[in-house]
Amino acid sequence: MIEVLHPGLYTSIQDEGRFGLQSWGVPIGGAMDKNAMHWANKLLNNPSNSAVLEMSFKGPQFRFHQETTLVLCGAYMEPKINGIPIENNVPVHVQEKDLLQMGNAHKGCRTYMAVAGGIQAPVVLGSQSQCKGITSETVITKNKLIPYNSSRFIQKKGARVHLENSYSDTKEIKVYKGPEFNLLDAETQKHLHESGFTLSVHNSRMAYILKEKLKCSLPSMWTSPVLPGTVQCTPNGNLIVLMRDAQTTGGYPRVLQVSEDGLNVLAQKSTNDTFHFSILPLNE
Amino acid sequence: MMPKLAFRFYLMQPQVVLLEWDSEPSEALLCLLIAFKKEILLHSEDVIQITQGYCSLMVFYKNKINSPSKFKEILQSLYENIPPFEIQKGKLWKIPVYYGKEFGIDLEVSAQKLQMSVKELVKTHHSVCYLVYFIGFLPGFLYLDGLPKILNIPRKSKPSPKVSPGSIGIGGQQTGIYPQESPGGWHIIGRTPYPLFQPSKKSPCFAQAGDQIEFYPITKSEYKSIEKGIASKTYKIKSV
Repeated sequence: MIEVLHPGLYTSIQDEGRFGLQSWGVPIGGAMDKNAMHWANKLLNNPSNSAVLEMSFKGPQFRFHQETTLVLCGAYMEPKINGIPIENNVPVHVQEKDLLQMGNAHKGCRTYMAVAGGIQAPVVLGSQSQCKGITSETVITKNKLIPYNSSRFIQKKGARVHLENSYSDTKEIKVYKGPEFNLLDAETQKHLHESGFTLSVHNSRMAYILKEKLKCSLPSMWTSPVLPGTVQCTPNGNLIVLMRDAQTTGGYPRVLQVSEDGLNVLAQKSTNDTFHFSILPLNE
Repeated sequence: MMPKLAFRFYLMQPQVVLLEWDSEPSEALLCLLIAFKKEILLHSEDVIQITQGYCSLMVFYKNKINSPSKFKEILQSLYENIPPFEIQKGKLWKIPVYYGKEFGIDLEVSAQKLQMSVKELVKTHHSVCYLVYFIGFLPGFLYLDGLPKILNIPRKSKPSPKVSPGSIGIGGQQTGIYPQESPGGWHIIGRTPYPLFQPSKKSPCFAQAGDQIEFYPITKSEYKSIEKGIASKTYKIKSV
């Protein structure tokens, strides 16, 4: 068990998410930064879909009730075991009663903690990911005891995973043109290509609203499917980037579609971070 | 059978295709979309799921689409060869609604705005059949068509921050049921005790695209007893 002494700002249990249920309006969900989740699981020889803890902005404090091995990937949150700093991306063995303290996020905003064997949580509609409207709890709370599968972690001799961690610094978000992109006038298209954008304070697992507005007077459209990564443009020009817990349909024109890599990069951005879109060919 | 409208093929992501019809939503188009969806699922092993909008389908593939033109051709040929189908509706579900003022908090104001009595508003709302176009927005949220024109009322200028689950609303040309607590801009005229979305079930939502919904009025004590029946898992929703 992991005892939650302090839950942090927003810590939830996540895996790959729910797939195949979108006809019922179920969000795909899952870890915001799937790269970091996959690395964490890989470093512990876990199956890639094992549930992990996603910590956002300010990390939690945990007490371990049995020994296990953990690893932290993604943003750096000044992690300490019993007061002694530990590194990201390196498996760390913890003993019964050990205390893990996380601080504020640097180099990104979301950190993933995997434990050998994976976090245990009820499987709802094929996934352990916590999500509003689907699971009874949407975040972990103080005094909660989180069970995990006990699996002995054996470090493979000489096995190393090379981690490309610089992506949290990158300002380039790889996107495709959205289905309504070509309805924008040439100047607005150019603006999307060439201008920088800033993340507003309105950012959550569901959607990010950008600070800059687009000059856009697209006609309204009949509600149609959307995906995590769909960039919508509202009638007053607000750009909304749908994130992992997004709704499954929407009525605003879809001007861009963020790639899977782009979504993982965006997952590590927080309020006032700047970035630009780079458009990859897909339909040409 | 109506002549088939052409659709637009658009790659959203390397594994996801959007098909769109340049048309107004209609029952005929809905039936065509459902028939096409069945046909794609029947003949394409590499398709994981297909979601739907008013005039669109989204096809999710297992693998990356390397040659879009080939995939487009396959879909086009499936589309042209949809076996003849009749416009037939799915199941008809009967949803119990308590149109009482304590749950239908906007009943009186809405009736005033629509220049009719509360009784008239309620009766008009449950006297027709609604068609389920698709499910989206929130888990278990049904996009319904068929609200009588005399109940068309502009949405609230300021959405309510919290609408209770099960609330029945009207706004613009639409009516619907809030499956979970959420902000909402519709005028709330009643509430159903039946949960629209049950994550513990294998099919978490009872209805699907093409089904029909009918509301029927219940009293407060019937509401309470249905609520108990749902808690003890003895209540079953009526369908025809």
